[in-house]
Amino acid sequence: MVGYTLRRAGMTLLVLLAVSVLVFLMSHLTPGDPATIMLGENASTADVLRLRHELGLDRPLPAQYGRYLINALRGDLGRSIRSGRPVAGEIWERFPPTLQLTLAATALAIAAGVLLGALAATSRNRMVEALLMSASLVGISMPSFWLGLLLILLFGLALRWLPIAGGSGWQALVLPALTLAAQAAAVLARLTRASLLEVLPSDYVRTARAKGVGSRRVLFHHALRNALIPVVTVIGLQFGGLLGGAVIVESVFARSGLGRLAVGAIQARDFPLIQGIVVFAAAVYALVNLSVDVLYLALDPRISYD
Amino acid sequence: MRRGVRGVLMLAAAIGGAVGAGPLHAQDNRVGGTWTVAIGEEPDTLDPQKTGAAVAAQIFTLVGEPLLAKDFQSGIVPGLAESWAVSGDGQQWTFKLRAGAAFHDGTPVTAAAVRASIVRALAPETKSPVAKAQLGPVVGVDALDDRTLRITLKEPFAPFMANLTDSRLSPISVKAAETAGADFGRAPSSDGPYTVKEWVSGHHITLARNPAFAWGPPYMHRGPAYLEQVTFRIIPDSATQVAAFESGEVSQLGIPPHDVTRLVDSKKYQIFHFLRKGVGLFLEFNTAREPFNDLKVRRAMNYAIDKDVLVKVALEGQGEPAYGPLPPSIWGYWPGIVDYAPHYDPGKAKQLFAEAGYTMGPDGLLQKVGRPLSFTVFIAPIDTWTRSAQLLQAGLRAFGVKMDIQTYEFGTLLDLLKRGQHPAELMGYTYNEPDILFVWFDSANIGVGLNFSHYADPTLDGKIEAARRTMDTGKRAALYADLQRYVVDKALWVPLWTNFNYIALQPSIKEAKIHPDGYVFLGDAYLVKP
Repeated sequence: MVGYTLRRAGMTLLVLLAVSVLVFLMSHLTPGDPATIMLGENASTADVLRLRHELGLDRPLPAQYGRYLINALRGDLGRSIRSGRPVAGEIWERFPPTLQLTLAATALAIAAGVLLGALAATSRNRMVEALLMSASLVGISMPSFWLGLLLILLFGLALRWLPIAGGSGWQALVLPALTLAAQAAAVLARLTRASLLEVLPSDYVRTARAKGVGSRRVLFHHALRNALIPVVTVIGLQFGGLLGGAVIVESVFARSGLGRLAVGAIQARDFPLIQGIVVFAAAVYALVNLSVDVLYLALDPRISYD
Repeated sequence: MRRGVRGVLMLAAAIGGAVGAGPLHAQDNRVGGTWTVAIGEEPDTLDPQKTGAAVAAQIFTLVGEPLLAKDFQSGIVPGLAESWAVSGDGQQWTFKLRAGAAFHDGTPVTAAAVRASIVRALAPETKSPVAKAQLGPVVGVDALDDRTLRITLKEPFAPFMANLTDSRLSPISVKAAETAGADFGRAPSSDGPYTVKEWVSGHHITLARNPAFAWGPPYMHRGPAYLEQVTFRIIPDSATQVAAFESGEVSQLGIPPHDVTRLVDSKKYQIFHFLRKGVGLFLEFNTAREPFNDLKVRRAMNYAIDKDVLVKVALEGQGEPAYGPLPPSIWGYWPGIVDYAPHYDPGKAKQLFAEAGYTMGPDGLLQKVGRPLSFTVFIAPIDTWTRSAQLLQAGLRAFGVKMDIQTYEFGTLLDLLKRGQHPAELMGYTYNEPDILFVWFDSANIGVGLNFSHYADPTLDGKIEAARRTMDTGKRAALYADLQRYVVDKALWVPLWTNFNYIALQPSIKEAKIHPDGYVFLGDAYLVKP
């Protein structure tokens, strides 16, 4: 297991290296000179030359990449063009709210998804199943900005239970996390149901029932444990999707966060900031998936990669 | 070009503290409370000399106090300077600063400190996008004594006085700026009624009352502002802004067009409404390219477009048709332009298209030597712009003109327009001064500035320069009237509409006023229990 973990970690590093090369090349592949793009068409030649030097654009490509990589490893991702502040600092300041939102949404999605999926699987061919499955279809299809606005109108404006764009603490997190979780919860519910339906007719479940084990215990202790293995993989992938979905949810609920920072950076064509965010998001995504793969081993002793 | 010295010293009214009787005195029982303003975008920086964002200028109306101020009748009145004088040739401006003013970091606002601030704004390394341009032809700044400042211009510059009232020209503490470095823009030190207390990126900017403030303009009470805090809450989504306002989380809102009728009719809120300071939308032709290098075609287009339909449908009636390059809300607007400029006239449009050599082809499109009259209009993804473009498309098709619509992100759009890669575009602006005509039409702004018509005309340049250098208000107004006629004659634009701006305030506030520059003046405002 240790060997596998090390190998997967090595792979993750390779992926991150590849991402860094792509991100680095991004500014060189876009048509035109990055310095001119950043400063705008009407910048003076002196300014363009100064920025080219500041960004190291006057040096050979491999040397530029080397410097970029070394600086990045030291936590120096350059300075934002728009604000003049260090990119790493900007990302670090905006990451906690996004992490908070994503974690809350993940927890909600898992709890709701697994429970509703199990309920649907055990209420086969009944009204409940049809209802749950159509609800999950709605959940998957409904765009989050629309759902977010509906939740705002209902819980923020009509009922006044929760703050819309104000407040702090957990109250301010509820509506955004619900909005963000809806789609993932729907996906997980459908997956859990399908996976359970495969597991429930199997021999060991029948054996457990024959031994007189209670139906709840059969479901949660025996069937679900095995049914959840594919679900765990999807949770890892969904986490990345949630990180991406935060862009829209943060805008609708006016939350501070990485998603809004990214949108602002793109609109302002703030290249160092865009690059920094892409590398950072890729790193988070790769690390989460690495953790999921390792978790697999712990969950299912039968799985062996050696 | 310089005008001779007339030997007349224009001395502005020196309004002292004596005016401040009765209601102008501060009332302690009004102090307190937080006022929350919804803003759609975050400022780039709050360094007034480095920002290019309109929202930063809006916030800085509370943080800074410029040398001069504009009162509610748009008259120029004292601000930080209690009096001022200008030499007969319009090139030497002498300001007497109020005694006792201090920056937020505690250092006194002396003539030397204001000088240092202006020098910083002009310095090339500051790379000031707006403040420097507003200072215009400033060539010298001298502190004559502690409270006397002299600014020397290379040539007379008529917009100078009005520019000095802009919040972005508020003096800053250069000492604080040097200590803070790049972080100065996050917590600037200026001389206004509020200090920047906290800036949480992507969330809010909180201003706190400056208890030492006692050097406001004469239309404000003597002493510090009443509201304890003013918070600018950054809410990018307009539907969320409206919901947050209706739930009471937000106290002040710029109403999106779609919600205007509902919020106004609810009669629950204080509503300010005013005509936007600038033409909200115009169709601009690139005169350097076919087919709009032909004046006849441009004029025909001016007769072919029904502006009333655009106002009714695209603006849902919340605006008025535009006829010239200036709206009635900017000083210098010539009211005669409404009758002077072309109105919708299908007969006249067809006649002009024919005079330009176009005949109706078999496919229902106008054509000239086998080439159809078709072009692409470049626009930005703004709701009212898109709707207007679609209406234009349908309207022009009836004349046999084929118009395609291409949408670009705003920054990209500006770049393309500067490079002249468009046949025509939709555009709009907001500005306080008729000097905006320099920005849009002077040939010096082709390729670098906003002269997107790419129209170079020495006669036009001469008229613009003359208006900029003329200090006499009456003569200047006449020059601008002539300029508006000239621009309409050359048909560089089809001015389309100017929208009304609506601002809603919670009813708990008293004495909030709308300033002629289009922001809510909170200097005298205080909260009462609803």
